[in-house]
Amino acid sequence: MYLLKLLAELATTDTTQLEQSAPRRAALESLGRFSAKTLAAALPLGLAALPAQAGTTTILDSLGLALQLERLQEAFYTQALAAPAGFFPADATIRTSIVTMQRQQQQHITLLTDAIINSGGPVPARPNYDFTGSRNSTQPAFFASVFSNFDDFLRLAQLLEDTGVRAYKGQVESLISNDFILQTALQIHSTEARHAARIRIIRQKRGAVVKPWPSPTDASITVAGKTDIVYSGENALEQSVPSYRPVPFRLLPIGFPGTNILTQGVPEAFDEPLNTAQAGTILGLFTY
Amino acid sequence: MHTPSSPARMLARRSFFRVAGAGAAVSALVLAGCGKDDPEPPVPGTPTLSLGNFVATATSDPNITVLNYAYLLEQIEAAFYDKVVTTPPADLLPGELAYLTDMRDHELIHREYLKYALGTSAYDNTLATPLVFDFSTFTLTTRTGVWTAARQLEEIGVAAYNGAAKYLTSADHLNALGKIVSVEARHAALAREVLQPGSFADNVGTTGLDDAKTPAQVVALIQPFVPIAISTANLPTT
Repeated sequence: MYLLKLLAELATTDTTQLEQSAPRRAALESLGRFSAKTLAAALPLGLAALPAQAGTTTILDSLGLALQLERLQEAFYTQALAAPAGFFPADATIRTSIVTMQRQQQQHITLLTDAIINSGGPVPARPNYDFTGSRNSTQPAFFASVFSNFDDFLRLAQLLEDTGVRAYKGQVESLISNDFILQTALQIHSTEARHAARIRIIRQKRGAVVKPWPSPTDASITVAGKTDIVYSGENALEQSVPSYRPVPFRLLPIGFPGTNILTQGVPEAFDEPLNTAQAGTILGLFTY
Repeated sequence: MHTPSSPARMLARRSFFRVAGAGAAVSALVLAGCGKDDPEPPVPGTPTLSLGNFVATATSDPNITVLNYAYLLEQIEAAFYDKVVTTPPADLLPGELAYLTDMRDHELIHREYLKYALGTSAYDNTLATPLVFDFSTFTLTTRTGVWTAARQLEEIGVAAYNGAAKYLTSADHLNALGKIVSVEARHAALAREVLQPGSFADNVGTTGLDDAKTPAQVVALIQPFVPIAISTANLPTT
């Protein structure tokens, strides 16, 4: 069944797109070698038989997760841009920025879909979206006015963009064996960081207590038990270098003492990753 | 189409590390990190700063090369913001000095983080005095000049990390650089927004990919700030 589905997807693929991607296909053809899951998928029932194991994220898994996150963000902006006139504020640069982000997410979707197809992987099904958090009115909404209150829209935009940054960061390790994919993912990753910074700057100009980068001084915008995972661990006061040696910032010439550089500067200076499960949890809040 | 390296280019990586060592250098600048190797003999003439292992052997570590490269970039950024925050232009708008101070703090922390990670392998470990960077090509007496310079340096940083991370073989180092580069991208977006609202992603190409530059491209861009010649002989060339 799995193979049939894959073949059906390939049959509907735009062949010109595949041809245009020939150089990339060459880069991707070895993906299967890194992907036990892909190999298993070539065998009937192989995928189902694979036990779920921690730490075995394949390149295809990572690309699939990234694709779902980009689709989520793109759908979010598409709905916002379709909202009635007056939803966006008078400052025209704000709407223009959202259009830019939506366009770049569409571009990321194209890239990621292309990469998955060319590596022989299954393109994950596109879910339905409900950005109120009500999962199609099956549970109480926690962002009920997301497309009627512009500041609520910006709050969720910030949560989703920061999630994107953190989720890509959490996947880079599983891409280390493929230079081409790794660099592409990093180029998307820093684009996401620009989006997040822009949303934060818009919010800051509208009076929110927030910086372009996650900071312990940011006013919390999360809902406990729902979206708090977006910033879990983000304000880490410690960093380590390989072999898990903690970095003794207190002893380094970074301006301590006399400032709050240890409690504010250090958490701000490092964006933290989200792992696959955490990113999946956030996806699940807005999909059904 | 987007710009990541082709598979053929990826192959150049191994050969790059084998040819490392071609660069001339004063012995004081010979990197640690090749501690087990015999240092390159000093070459008379122009002093040269070289990043990475001089002698590629079975024990050569590409991670050291990339971390030293990142360390130099963070040194430049930290020195820049330190200078700006110490003598800020008179026409900064409210809140801008606080942002520049935050950015100074972040870059200081990045610099010291990388230096600590490198330990005795830091390229300037044996320098008697720290390098003094030259920002005379910038106009630092006006807010526009300062933010224009910040934009330039931050964009170099983002493109440099995006282009060099693939040379890392250590997942730990890759994760560490991943934590830093997105903060640099946030800085770059802020500098752009200060100068021109809505320009946060103007560096992003038509396929949705942010910039990535090769180390050789980056070295050409940062050479004006560095007081001695930077050898690209030990840096990836594609």
